[in-house]
Amino acid sequence: MQEVHVMGQYSQLAVGDIYTFLEACGVTLLVTLVSLVLGTLLGTALGLVRCSKNKIISSLPLIIMEPLRNSPLVVQLFLVYYGLPMVFGILLDAYPAAILTLSLNTAAFFAVLVHNSITAIPVSQWEAGYALGHGKASTFVNVIFRQALRLLIPQAITLYINQLQCSSMISLISLRDICRIGQLVSVRTMQPFLVWGIVFALYYVISFPLARLASYLEKRVNFSY
Amino acid sequence: MYRLSFRFLENPQYQELLKEGVINTLIITFFCLIFGFLIGLIVAMMRRSKMKVLRGFGAFWVDFLRNTPFLVQLFFFYHSLPRLGIELDPVIVSIIALSINTSAGNCEVIRAGLMAVKKSYYECAAALGLSTFQTVRHVVLPISLRVAFKPLVSNFVNLILTTSTCFSITVVELMGASKIINGRVDRPFEIYLLLLVAYCCITFLISMISKAVDRKIAITL
Repeated sequence: MQEVHVMGQYSQLAVGDIYTFLEACGVTLLVTLVSLVLGTLLGTALGLVRCSKNKIISSLPLIIMEPLRNSPLVVQLFLVYYGLPMVFGILLDAYPAAILTLSLNTAAFFAVLVHNSITAIPVSQWEAGYALGHGKASTFVNVIFRQALRLLIPQAITLYINQLQCSSMISLISLRDICRIGQLVSVRTMQPFLVWGIVFALYYVISFPLARLASYLEKRVNFSY
Repeated sequence: MYRLSFRFLENPQYQELLKEGVINTLIITFFCLIFGFLIGLIVAMMRRSKMKVLRGFGAFWVDFLRNTPFLVQLFFFYHSLPRLGIELDPVIVSIIALSINTSAGNCEVIRAGLMAVKKSYYECAAALGLSTFQTVRHVVLPISLRVAFKPLVSNFVNLILTTSTCFSITVVELMGASKIINGRVDRPFEIYLLLLVAYCCITFLISMISKAVDRKIAITL
């Protein structure tokens, strides 16, 4: 990776860079996937609490969600990576810091989606469930949640794509993801167009099919009750 | 037990730095707001044009910008413009990159607004004898911008949050200034917490104002 350049001679893009880029893809995908899974679980929980009838309980998750949704991810990342170790006197590695921040961030946005798609189901559906003799929990699982899921999935995919883009921020806390490697190789080879072209292509190849899937699903579920 | 200390805020040197940061953030936000909106409007019109090439270009523009990270776009401009012999101030580079980035989101929103203008409105305008320009000026834009107002504000909030990324190309905006101060006083928790709260306050303020404005200009079609 670190080749010495002498007298203005810059090293060319080499075969070894393919492996570096693949490794970087691995880092990006690993951090993104782990934090998406954790974020989805936590976000679902927060979203369900948001649906509570009790006003006080339903507004509790907002205490965590609003600051996460209304501040830049970079600041959150730096707060966790540099700030938390100072407060708690622990050493936080870059990976856990990145995963923690990204999952909390994802959870905050996912909770909103869950809450919106559950409240979008008309009250008549609840009444229909009760009329058929279902209990509250049974109505929720068998009637409401299934319909909400259909609204939720396309939006969730869009959110996931967005979080994949946001994961490039982890390069700022020294993780060697695609963006970071692009930066290093671009500076080393002085071929910004080629190197950033590769980086663009890598992100595009991962997220474009997902985006298409999301818009396809959105069209499929787009009908009124 | 960790003790919070905000003593560094009393140092005039750091106050200066924070002031510079705020000004740079405002400059970037202001220009990106204008250029991002204009580019978004143009691309939205392209996507509705009759020419296939323009529509394809518009679709690609939006798809590409939405499916690649802003950080990569920023680094691309920062590294490749000097290669073309164009050496610009990092602030200008970040204005260019961020304007282009926000134009994608704005384009989608404005397009949705344009679609809200039904065919009958165009027919009415034609019946009243309005020219094409007059139709756009007096009928299409007032309706579609009102419909698009709320999502445009949410894009604007996003834009403010995204300006914080520009510190990575050495722009001394709010985040960059905080990073420099942190490098000198080594109080990361306090500084970034303060920054988090500051950004939250700004965005809350904007969403409150926008709600009030939206109530005034809202229309039912």
